[in-house]
Amino acid sequence: MKNKVKVYRAIHDLTQEQLADALGVTRQTILAIEKGKYDPSLELAFRIARHFRVSIEEVFLWEEPLEVP
Amino acid sequence: MKRNTFYIILGLVILLEVGIFWWAVEIKNALLAPAAFILGVAAIYLARGMVEEIIDDERTRLITQQASLRTFQVFWVVFFAVNLGMAVIALGPPGFPRPSQQPPPPADGLRPFHLVGLYAIIQLVLLGLMILLYVGFRIYYARKYGDWDSDEE
Repeated sequence: MKNKVKVYRAIHDLTQEQLADALGVTRQTILAIEKGKYDPSLELAFRIARHFRVSIEEVFLWEEPLEVP
Repeated sequence: MKRNTFYIILGLVILLEVGIFWWAVEIKNALLAPAAFILGVAAIYLARGMVEEIIDDERTRLITQQASLRTFQVFWVVFFAVNLGMAVIALGPPGFPRPSQQPPPPADGLRPFHLVGLYAIIQLVLLGLMILLYVGFRIYYARKYGDWDSDEE
C-alpha cells in the first residue's frame, strides 16, 4: 500500500513529531508509515486522513499486486 | 518522567536484582531472591506507567505480538524436547544414567548441586534461551517495521 502522508505533512507544515503527538503514536510509527514499512490499522488510517481533512483514499492508495503469468 | 529516565531506572533495578540474588545465596535465604524479583518487576511496570512520552502504539504492539508468537512457537518445541528427555531419564530402568544420587564432591571444593537445584538451573537456562529468542525475534520485527530507520528530519 502506498501513501501520501509525507506530502500532506509537508503541505500542513508539520514535523513527524507533531503529527505523531496529534495522533497519539510514536514518531517512529509515522516514519515507518511514510517509508512504507508499516501499514497502519484502518482506525489510524482514518485518523490520519481526518487530521489532514481529506478522504482516506486521498492519503492511502491500494495497488493490486501484479499477477505473474 | 522522561523515557531515558525510565531506561536508567530499568538498568538500576536489573543490577539490584543481580546483587540481591548473590546476597540471597550468601545468606542462604531462598525467599529473598523471588520476592525481590516480583517487587522489581512491579517497580518496572509502575515506572513504565509514569513515562510521559508515547512509547507504545499499534506498531510497537504488533512488533511485541509477532516476536512473542514466534518465541512461543520455537520455545515450546525446545521445552517439550528437553522435558521429554528428562522424563525418559526419570522413567528409565535401573542403571540408566540419571542424577538420582548425589554426585561425589568435586575436587576443586565447589558444592555439588542438589537435584532440585539442578532442576532450577535447567529451568533458568531454558528461560534464558526464551529471553534470547524473544530479543532476537524482537530485533528482527523491529527492523522489519522500521524501528531503527531514520530520515532527514
